[in-house]
Amino acid sequence: MKRFAWTQPTSLASAAAFAETTVADAMVALRPDTHAGHGAVLQAGGIDNLDLMKEELLQPNLVISLRAIPGLDKIEKQEASWRIGAGTTLMAVAGHPAVQARFPALATCLNQSGSPQIRAVATLGGNLLQRPRCWYFRSIAFDCLRKGGGHCFAILGENAYHAVFDNEVCAIVHPSSVATVLVALGASVELTGPNGATRRLLLEDFLVRPKQNVRRENDLQPREILTAILLPNPSASVRMAYLRLGEKQAFDWPLVDAAVILELDASSVCRQGVICLGAVAPTPYRPRAAEATLAGKVIDVPTARSAARTALDGAMPLAHNEFKLPLIETVLRRAILRAANPV
Amino acid sequence: MISRRTFIPRSDLPVAAARPGSGAAGDRSPKEPETATRRDVIAAQGPDAVAMTLTVNGIARMFEAEPRVTLAEALRGALALTGTKIACNRGTCSSCTVWLDGTPIVSCMILAVDVGNRAVTTIEGLIRDGNLHPAQAAFIGHDAIQCGFCTPGMVMSCAALLDRDPRPTRDAVLAAISGHLCRCGTYPHVVAATLAASEEAKS
Amino acid sequence: MTGDPGKRGERLPFGIMGAGLATIERRIPNEEPPPLPPNPDLRVIGRNVPRQNGREKVTGAIRYTGDIALQGMLHARILRSTVPSARVLNVDLEAALCHLGVRAAITLAHPGNRVTEYVRYVGMPIAALAAVSPEAAAEALALIRIDMQKLPFVTDMDGAQTASAPHVFAPDVAPNGHPSGFPAPADLPLRGNVRGPTVERRGDVGYGFSTADVIVEGKYRTHVQTHCCMETHGIVADWRDDGLTVYISTQFTAGIRRELADAFGLRLAQVRVIVDGMGGGFGSKSTLGRYGWIAVALSREAHAPVRLILSRAEEQVDSGNRPETSQQLKIGARRDGTLTAIALSSCGSAGVGLGAGVGDMASSLYTCPNFESTHTDVFVNAGPGCAMRAPGNVPGAFSLEQSIDELAEQLGFDPLALRDRIDPSPVRREERRIGALRFDWHRKRRRTGAPGPIKRGVGVAQSHWGAYVQLDSACEVRLMRDGSVEVLSGVQDIGTGITTVLAQTVAEVFGLEARDIVVRIGDTDFPAGPPSYGSRTTASITPPARTAAWHVLQALFRAAGPLLGTMPAKLVARDGFIMAGHDPAKRLRFSDVCADLRTDSISAIASRQDDYGGFGRQYGNAATAQRDLGGVQFAEVTVDTETGVIFVERVLAVHDCGRPMNPLQIESQVHGGVLMGLSFALFEHRVLDPRTGHVLNPNLEAYKFAGARDAPAIEVIVLQNYQASSATDAYGIAEPSIIPTAPAIANAVYNATGVRLRTTPMTPAVVLSALGRRPKAEASS
Repeated sequence: MKRFAWTQPTSLASAAAFAETTVADAMVALRPDTHAGHGAVLQAGGIDNLDLMKEELLQPNLVISLRAIPGLDKIEKQEASWRIGAGTTLMAVAGHPAVQARFPALATCLNQSGSPQIRAVATLGGNLLQRPRCWYFRSIAFDCLRKGGGHCFAILGENAYHAVFDNEVCAIVHPSSVATVLVALGASVELTGPNGATRRLLLEDFLVRPKQNVRRENDLQPREILTAILLPNPSASVRMAYLRLGEKQAFDWPLVDAAVILELDASSVCRQGVICLGAVAPTPYRPRAAEATLAGKVIDVPTARSAARTALDGAMPLAHNEFKLPLIETVLRRAILRAANPV
Repeated sequence: MISRRTFIPRSDLPVAAARPGSGAAGDRSPKEPETATRRDVIAAQGPDAVAMTLTVNGIARMFEAEPRVTLAEALRGALALTGTKIACNRGTCSSCTVWLDGTPIVSCMILAVDVGNRAVTTIEGLIRDGNLHPAQAAFIGHDAIQCGFCTPGMVMSCAALLDRDPRPTRDAVLAAISGHLCRCGTYPHVVAATLAASEEAKS
Repeated sequence: MTGDPGKRGERLPFGIMGAGLATIERRIPNEEPPPLPPNPDLRVIGRNVPRQNGREKVTGAIRYTGDIALQGMLHARILRSTVPSARVLNVDLEAALCHLGVRAAITLAHPGNRVTEYVRYVGMPIAALAAVSPEAAAEALALIRIDMQKLPFVTDMDGAQTASAPHVFAPDVAPNGHPSGFPAPADLPLRGNVRGPTVERRGDVGYGFSTADVIVEGKYRTHVQTHCCMETHGIVADWRDDGLTVYISTQFTAGIRRELADAFGLRLAQVRVIVDGMGGGFGSKSTLGRYGWIAVALSREAHAPVRLILSRAEEQVDSGNRPETSQQLKIGARRDGTLTAIALSSCGSAGVGLGAGVGDMASSLYTCPNFESTHTDVFVNAGPGCAMRAPGNVPGAFSLEQSIDELAEQLGFDPLALRDRIDPSPVRREERRIGALRFDWHRKRRRTGAPGPIKRGVGVAQSHWGAYVQLDSACEVRLMRDGSVEVLSGVQDIGTGITTVLAQTVAEVFGLEARDIVVRIGDTDFPAGPPSYGSRTTASITPPARTAAWHVLQALFRAAGPLLGTMPAKLVARDGFIMAGHDPAKRLRFSDVCADLRTDSISAIASRQDDYGGFGRQYGNAATAQRDLGGVQFAEVTVDTETGVIFVERVLAVHDCGRPMNPLQIESQVHGGVLMGLSFALFEHRVLDPRTGHVLNPNLEAYKFAGARDAPAIEVIVLQNYQASSATDAYGIAEPSIIPTAPAIANAVYNATGVRLRTTPMTPAVVLSALGRRPKAEASS
């Protein structure tokens, strides 16, 4: 890890004012030939930043800790939504009674993310903003496209863990399983600038596809802080499930994960279904054609099977990840059925 | 808790923060801040060593370290508490587990400077009045130890679980150690030891 | 034979407890203690005595190499190659040496030297330096300038064997033989990157196959597994004018001392090697290694102690690994199950190293008159392999035990019944019998396929490992006037618990408790101990410990005889007393007798005698007992046929290691073997980028090994298998316990799904592919 100065402002305004760059920009600015420390970056729990700094992929001059800023770790009910401070730890979010009661899929996902030790420190905001786990991206030896280099090494390289959708430019998968659920839940992010102005947008719109910009996974701007995640209050008729599949039983990145939100009417007919798949595309992936097949149906095995098959439309597996397709089909089918018939 | 402070006016930041060894950033002219005013200053520490105070095992300990020093490094280095082990140094094996305000965390993935006034408990602090924590005694009794390198971290997780939940289920024990890696294969005996310690606690 | 005046006749326990335990007459050297009765008649040996250094380990007090800080100690870093193949044209240390914190720097790649001017894998050391802090060392490392001419390279074993492949070594500079752990024969031809073949032949396999009624044949592939010791390799080297002291995380203090003396032109007496806490080795810490040499050279250069601890990434790339293998195995049998021929054709790659052979299992486990194995080692531009827990036999069992399973099915035999027919070992026969009962094997095998995607199955596989002994193992026992007892040996405790077993061994002799014994080991100032590899530690060091203790006790008896008015020969030591026979009236406290010693302490040193009945084979300082070590493991798995996820629910491990010294510690080690075997079977795979030669998963995140949630319920049964071979009759367990796990799982997967997996790791991708699960969507292409 290279040297840096460290500061812990106590107000959002000063933190934002000094956050002259984003982690993504700082990494692109760090070209292999300069070895120059660059920029001031924000840090919440710091898990991903430390990982990047230890690999010397990120070499900021200044680290701005958000930990002393009051109020970033509040969970509160608002009119039509729940507002979760971005600085809330994953453990605190998962343990919150409202999350467990109203967003069980989120709690399930959180309890499977990282390890207990990581969840006690990592924040919800940091989890959403963490950089991808692609092993080419994570190695200083590879000057890959996402770090400002010339090409994606994964597309023609070792890509078993990589994307099967939207992978023509860069084949990362989005690293946040939590994002899989939050996108399905229709979550928004609240971003606060240095003058205190906030903007809100759907998480789904906040996340950036490689074709839009291959050097970042989201639209976070310099001098902007992710301050909260807003979850629309689900109606009583909403059912949800989150299911993940990894090689190991715990503390492993998913090969595929799926969040399914179903709105059922009184006679168990699905009014609307939302599906989000993780670990299959550079952003949480919503197979909208598959979602459409659920509307107006009673959710049974054939319906789930059909939707899961439809979800594979447009998949373009790489040399080593075709096995993800049957996994998507199975995980999604099971997630749909579990949402409709909670255990 | 930081004592030595460097006040950095915003417009001087890149220069002030770039001491020898941190990389020369002086050749870039800093952009004018768009919204913050030039009057803003922040208290920044480092990159040179700064004085810190950590409360470790109930005792306030003062030392000097650079901001880049992790809690694990500070414990093992400046504070000479080598019971905390670094094995992967990336938060993936949990060998470096300590408690922060009673909750297990991986000390390799948090900066010492970021700990602030939270209480740190290390494996050295688990003994109370010369008595082993029940988890430690059970580890010995059930041979939940082989090479011992992952053991301090594993003990910290199991002890925290028992302190929080004196009668954990088997699944709760597995969850508590789900972040730990042990190459010798102590997991079965660790689970047995922790469950046994809980039985002793209730009897 | 019987006329040797240095020997006497004794009757020793012989056979398996509970299955015909008897005694046998042996001629044993006069200086050896009397026969040790079976475990039920003992008070300390064979009991679950708590780990001697358990308190130090659970409190974090025990010192590992990285915990040692000497006055004025420097911190070393190694500059490693970032390219897989290149010729080094120039190494410029000047700027690094000008760094204020640097105290010494050395070059490891020497331009102009035909051997060392080449780098041959990513991660290969090129230069190294020592500085006043780790941070200064890292900064200075970046100042070293290397000029290199990049050369073509090859990282995949198949590609390396093609005619157009770049050569990893010129023939005259290629390694010849293997420095550590396991033998690779010297002086074999090298064509391109292919070295060998080594051929082993018995009988005539052509004839054998011609007389076979059934032939099975399969191609198996196993991938590189890395040791992943939780404690990375580390050393603190302290070079002084009067000698060298190194603290090193090692499996063999005595061997390191020899290596250091040879490498640096020192006398053995000038070198001291110390290890206390040792965070796992699994074969990778058997020798000094390049890093060890570097630290010592830097200490010599800097006139200061130097600490060098490998980072996790360095550990994963350049501290050894289990070589990958490709095996074509063909077995012929008659209808009655008798094997007629086994032919194994294999190649393997240990990167730039040697020793990827796998033939021992196929050659040794079953009775077969006609056998042939042909093996080649293939060089690729990757970090060197080295011995890893049961080298050769782990991949060898994966193919052999699946083939035997296949054969059983084709012959219509139960897998256990076929093994009863072809396995000559009475020990494994008993293990199969006990295991089948406990596991409920026959009922579980008959279970018919359940509906639904989750299939359940059971499988079995066997272990074979030589019962190794290190002949130059020695131990000293000292008795102090206050009654305290010390055991001293260079042997190291790498986590197996030999500290505790030595205390038990000596306590039994003196009639004391294990906790009364102070065990000082891991230091070459004490008599040279055995290595902790080859599962040979217990077999090698416990007999000398018992013998030395017995000699000390005889001296104590000579002092006690007059005090008790009894002939020394009639005294016994028991329960903390020295007593005359079993007369409770005529006894003195052990400590009271010691207080009467004429000298402050008495001591004896003993070394390992030959096995009483002779060895099976002897090579140099090592030998194997006449009988091998067995082991049978049963696995029960579920396979989700829609996701390809295999979950191992239960493993029953039935093993033997001669006389079990400490059953609980043995159970611990078997857990470790099973879990490492399971992990090898399901998860572990070092991934090399074919385009750059970089290891893509040099960490414990993307290189996956089993965590607590992946662990099955493991039951361990250990036989008491008395062999009348030594003063303790004890053997090792570490390696036998890993060998059968992967094939037992693979056989269970076959039983569950009808699909045979011949590749490790058996990931969802591999399983789904084998099951023929293809995506059903029309749009996918």
